[in-house]
Amino acid sequence: MAMTNSGIILTTVEEVLSWGRRNSLWPVSVGLACCAIEMMHTAASRFDTDRLGIVFRGSPRQSDVLIVAGTVVNKVAPMLRLIYEQMPDPKWVISMGGCASAGGPFPTYSTLQGVDRIIPVDVYIPGCPPTPQALLWGILELQKKIKAKKEGKEFIEIPVKVSQESKPISK
Amino acid sequence: MTWITLDKAERINSVFDVKIGSYKDNVWVEVEKDNLINLLKFLKEDPDFSFKMFIDFTVVDYPYHNPRFQAVYILYSPEYNERIIVKTWADDTLPSLINLWKGAKWAEREAYDMFGIKFDGHDNLVRMFLWETYSYYPLRKDFPKEGFKDTYLPSLNEGKNIPSHDYDPYHTAIPTLEDLEITERKRISKKNQIVLNWGPLHPGTHGTIWFLFDLEGETIRECDIILGQLHRGIEKLSEDLTYTQIIPYTDRMDYISALCSNIAYVNAVEKLLGVQPPEKAKWIRTMLAELQRINSHLLWLGTTALDLGALTMFLYTFREREKLMDIIEGIAGIRLNSSFLRIGGVRYDLPEGALDVIKHFIKDFPSRIKDYEDLLTKNRIWIRRNKDVGIVSKEDVYQYGLTGVMARSAGVPYDIRYIQPTDAYADVDFEIPLGTVGDAYDRYLIRIEEMKQSLRIVQQCVEKLEKLKNDKYVATDNPYVLPTLNEVYQSIESMVKDFTLRIYGEKAPVGEVYVSGENPRGELGFYIVSKGEGKPYRLRIRSGAFYNLQIFPELIKGRTVADAVALLGSIDPVVGETDR
Repeated sequence: MAMTNSGIILTTVEEVLSWGRRNSLWPVSVGLACCAIEMMHTAASRFDTDRLGIVFRGSPRQSDVLIVAGTVVNKVAPMLRLIYEQMPDPKWVISMGGCASAGGPFPTYSTLQGVDRIIPVDVYIPGCPPTPQALLWGILELQKKIKAKKEGKEFIEIPVKVSQESKPISK
Repeated sequence: MTWITLDKAERINSVFDVKIGSYKDNVWVEVEKDNLINLLKFLKEDPDFSFKMFIDFTVVDYPYHNPRFQAVYILYSPEYNERIIVKTWADDTLPSLINLWKGAKWAEREAYDMFGIKFDGHDNLVRMFLWETYSYYPLRKDFPKEGFKDTYLPSLNEGKNIPSHDYDPYHTAIPTLEDLEITERKRISKKNQIVLNWGPLHPGTHGTIWFLFDLEGETIRECDIILGQLHRGIEKLSEDLTYTQIIPYTDRMDYISALCSNIAYVNAVEKLLGVQPPEKAKWIRTMLAELQRINSHLLWLGTTALDLGALTMFLYTFREREKLMDIIEGIAGIRLNSSFLRIGGVRYDLPEGALDVIKHFIKDFPSRIKDYEDLLTKNRIWIRRNKDVGIVSKEDVYQYGLTGVMARSAGVPYDIRYIQPTDAYADVDFEIPLGTVGDAYDRYLIRIEEMKQSLRIVQQCVEKLEKLKNDKYVATDNPYVLPTLNEVYQSIESMVKDFTLRIYGEKAPVGEVYVSGENPRGELGFYIVSKGEGKPYRLRIRSGAFYNLQIFPELIKGRTVADAVALLGSIDPVVGETDR
């Protein structure tokens, strides 16, 4: 259908900004461990994040998403935090995999038990390592979160289950 | 056999006063600390022994023994194709070996870092993995696995009352940036114009390696490497796990070639326990290891070419990697860290159609390799970036304990698949490509050729496995081998066996073994000390990438920063394995 007359789109500045932000999430290309390999696969030929506007950048100053891909050990924690601080606002953090989320299978003296102890996390992706599909899911979740925040809503995709007293099974 | 015989080892007794013992075919020689350097020098230089190549050095802690620490040296003689273990006891100091083998430098730093042993004569004894202001020695037996939680580090997330975040707010201490600066200053002091930091979080460093270059203009005059940005404490952790539980950790060490690491570890445990896997399992292992080797070399090719500016290669090799990942996922169930091996066999039987898919891959892949070679082998830029970069000599190989492609590029035919064939490697036909110059370009050619050879091995494995269709894939008759799920459901004996093995672990006999496997990155060895418990007393991981990376500062001196990228790419380290 060809445009016959010039139309008018009514929107708000906030909406336009949010739309732009969530559709051009540029992550820093920082890989820490095994998850980084899956992150590379997500960016490579088959899964091709470029089609979603996700372009990996070499500098934190050009990025707005930090994908923490892999085990964060105590020694690298201050440097990772430095990278986070170098990113301009608004910025988001995706914690990819079990190690970044909560230490994973490494409850040791040298491993940071959860990256949220040094930087706030927006989306957690489970898996060891998560598949590229899971990482894409996480990024899409983040897009939903950015959209919900603009609308002033609290975004809870997975409702938190409150444990209830168990009842005996009756026939 | 790759170990010295007891009769031959007895001959050392005529020169030195030593204790000689063995477990399985591993032969060890115990010597007084004062005589250590003399004995090692004798073993290295005597033409009857000529243990020229440094394989590994580690320490085992015995808190109730006096003296407390046992130092273990593993040496290899290229002429006689023999290994030997030399042991000695020490309290807090040991003589440094850097005058005999330069490769001992980092291993001694690691021993200092983990056990607090000082080395007389070491040129720069600093912490290998942890930072300088860290005050504990983690691998000592009196140090708890979790460390000391003395720092208040609560969650910074905004959401409240999230059940999964209901955890201990106290944590082990993390260093400040000042601590890291002290660590850096101790490694290298500025003598020229500027000290350039490369890494640790840089896309070109293949992980989290931290390089320090002392530059004069563009030329690197001094270099040192700080490791430990991925030190997760796998060696400490495995002292508290059963032998089967350690298998997933070996995946996560060298995550690019998980199956090869599995095989090296499982072979070591099988030797310790005396388990013989069935024929079919051996062939499945060999086939998967070679597929994984192709996979690993493809990742190397893609990322190294990407670092040197050839973006297309990255997209091409990842296309083939996805196919291999799908094959591995189809067989093992998991794409990357598959933990497919079990002690005494493999996890599952081959699914239906797996061999057909692999056959198709074998048919398709040679044309892809041709594409890569068309793009790179005679590419002018590729040649000029790689030629004469990082030339390794035969002497370097022995001095630094270089293994894998690094050794073979210098013309040393050191391939564990050939000198100590495990699994089905003795029955397959393959060639080992050797370099003539020893530069980065040679290593590129070798890796390309290795992919072709791996394909040949896979072809032979497929042919063999088609004949072994209905064989057993795990030796569950052995008392040390976990029964399959089906057996647990069918018989009460299997259920009891499964329970005891899972809870108490495989009670291995007292002894120690060193078994290695040919990883795509070099020799991955496991030195297991067993005290008759269900878990290892000490598990030392001899990482190929750790020793290969050690020569980097030597090779890069006098070259430019641009060469550092090419050289690092050609060494191909994986940080998960160097740091463990």
